[in-house]
Amino acid sequence: MKFLKSITGHKARAGLAALALALSSTVALAAEKLQYFTWSGYELPDFNKSFLAAHPDGVEASIFGDDDDAFTKVKAGFRPDLAHPCYDKVARWNKEGLLQPIETKRIKNWDSIFPVFKNLPDLQAGDGKVWMVPWDWGNTSILYRTDLVKNPEASWNLLWDKQYTGRMATIDAVHDTPIVAALLAGVNPFDMTPEQMDKVAAKLREQRPLLSNYTTDMTSVEQALASGQLVAAMTWNASATSLKKQGVPVEFMKPKEGMLTWACGFVMLKDAKNVDLAYDFMNSRLDADSGKFLIQSYGYGSSLSTAFAGVSKEELEKLQLPSDPEVMLKSTIFTGPMKQNDDVAKMFEKVKAGG
Amino acid sequence: MSTLIATQAPEARSSSGFRFAMLLPGALVTFLLILFALGLVLFLAFRGNDGSLLGVGLTVENFVTVATDPLYWTVTLRSLVIAGLVTLATVVTAYPVAYYLAFHAGSRRGLLLFLVTLPFWTSYLLRVFAWKIVLAYNGVLNSALIESGIWSEPTLAFLNTPAAVVVTLAHAYAPFAILPIYVALDMIPKSLLEAASDLGARPFTVFRRVVLPNSMPGVLAAALVVFVPTVGDYVTPAMVGGPASTMIGTLIQSQFGKANDWPFGAALSVCVMLVILVVVLVARGADRRFGSRT
Repeated sequence: MKFLKSITGHKARAGLAALALALSSTVALAAEKLQYFTWSGYELPDFNKSFLAAHPDGVEASIFGDDDDAFTKVKAGFRPDLAHPCYDKVARWNKEGLLQPIETKRIKNWDSIFPVFKNLPDLQAGDGKVWMVPWDWGNTSILYRTDLVKNPEASWNLLWDKQYTGRMATIDAVHDTPIVAALLAGVNPFDMTPEQMDKVAAKLREQRPLLSNYTTDMTSVEQALASGQLVAAMTWNASATSLKKQGVPVEFMKPKEGMLTWACGFVMLKDAKNVDLAYDFMNSRLDADSGKFLIQSYGYGSSLSTAFAGVSKEELEKLQLPSDPEVMLKSTIFTGPMKQNDDVAKMFEKVKAGG
Repeated sequence: MSTLIATQAPEARSSSGFRFAMLLPGALVTFLLILFALGLVLFLAFRGNDGSLLGVGLTVENFVTVATDPLYWTVTLRSLVIAGLVTLATVVTAYPVAYYLAFHAGSRRGLLLFLVTLPFWTSYLLRVFAWKIVLAYNGVLNSALIESGIWSEPTLAFLNTPAAVVVTLAHAYAPFAILPIYVALDMIPKSLLEAASDLGARPFTVFRRVVLPNSMPGVLAAALVVFVPTVGDYVTPAMVGGPASTMIGTLIQSQFGKANDWPFGAALSVCVMLVILVVVLVARGADRRFGSRT
């Protein structure tokens, strides 16, 4: 009896040890994967082929639809290794103490990145280090059906046109719709007084009853434009590229007030566990081929001048993308950090709810 | 006597030990997950927002804002109306199903109950998307209406409206209403119905005087189970409702998300809980006062 007991005890202990071993090894395996937190649609394996060749199945992506939501998620304790916010948010993430600087020495294509992005003020961490490695840039404008909206004036005012009530949508993000409303209200979107913010709110209130919805779900917007439910919507270049490929008669407007131009990139979280993997991943994403794929499939700009070298002039023209972002920025508005980001966000939320 | 106690004591001890073991998980869940979380929400509601996780100071500012800004009243009222309509639609459509299940389904009852719960085998988001396909501009409903010649052009009136929110939620919550009503109906002794018929009551009178009053507890339970969660729903209005169907859940969610003001979001949640409590108490009071049960 005693003998039996000791055997079962032994077995149980061995089993427990095996279980612990199995558990710890799965934990170790999970830790070896790079945790990447990014915009939906940016997790495609084609963007980091060389990384996946070196580390098969080495990245686990989580998705967000808006980088303000991403910020609160990270603030509340979500800890990826790399995240992909846009430039206007970097200072905010940094202020919260969420980031660690990235060494440009370890980014092999750093020198090919357009200087206009490399020199952005909020990126500089001094001593050859940066807070964000720029990867993509693009425009925000109105995408409209050329057959359903005949010869519109090239202006953001189209999204305020009562004629198209219920058949327009706009992007549910602070750095898009409120910026446009500020431009139309004649207010500086990046630094405004409370009185000026009231003006912006009034402009947004004017738009609300005309809209079908506020959304960041670009797939739904593209489907609605294709079906004719929507005639015009605020979108990014990728939607224009995708609908044109499908043969839907659409045009990406060049508003006289200026398109919005944004730039986004990789930031490393302060307690990133897989720093080396993160550098490998960024280097892989900064291959000229990845940049070329980004340009050709989504119509977004790559931060690399070498990526543009591989795309023909005609193709770029079709994508409405100049090969030099500095040319673009002469006629567009760069979405930098908004000083009153939180106040504008609160105001926008209230207006959306009907206040 | 003393021997009796002596023999009983260990048994009583082991039974109280058993009871303790049985209650432990429930108590842990209640205290850690529910009461602690609620306490945290209440604590957060009285803090000021400085962008940090738990806020600063001690203030009633948040509640003052909620009470004085008419927007929050409008949106709360809208949520109550939408949830009320959902409850009404769900209970009214669920009752006949439950009635059939209880009195006429016979051997098919098992199969029908299985079918009622079938939609739960897929995710809620998929069901919402299914409704999007039905209600969309070039969706099933519009196409059918045009094919049959009732409409010549597709209408925008289905999707992105409060009505779409009501329909989607009513469908999603149908099983929650069918099951309690079915149980209540099933518990009515068949002899009561026979007695009513024997005394000359016509089928409709039997329903009005016997079946309906006896099933009221089930109907109220169903209404509560549907009403309370739908008031705070935020996914459905975001997916199928337009700007005019923003509900209070959407506002609370945005305070914890984009607007980045957790204390205010917590204060809003507390206010909504209080409003729901009042509504439920009023409904219970009305039932006790005017309910036809004896």
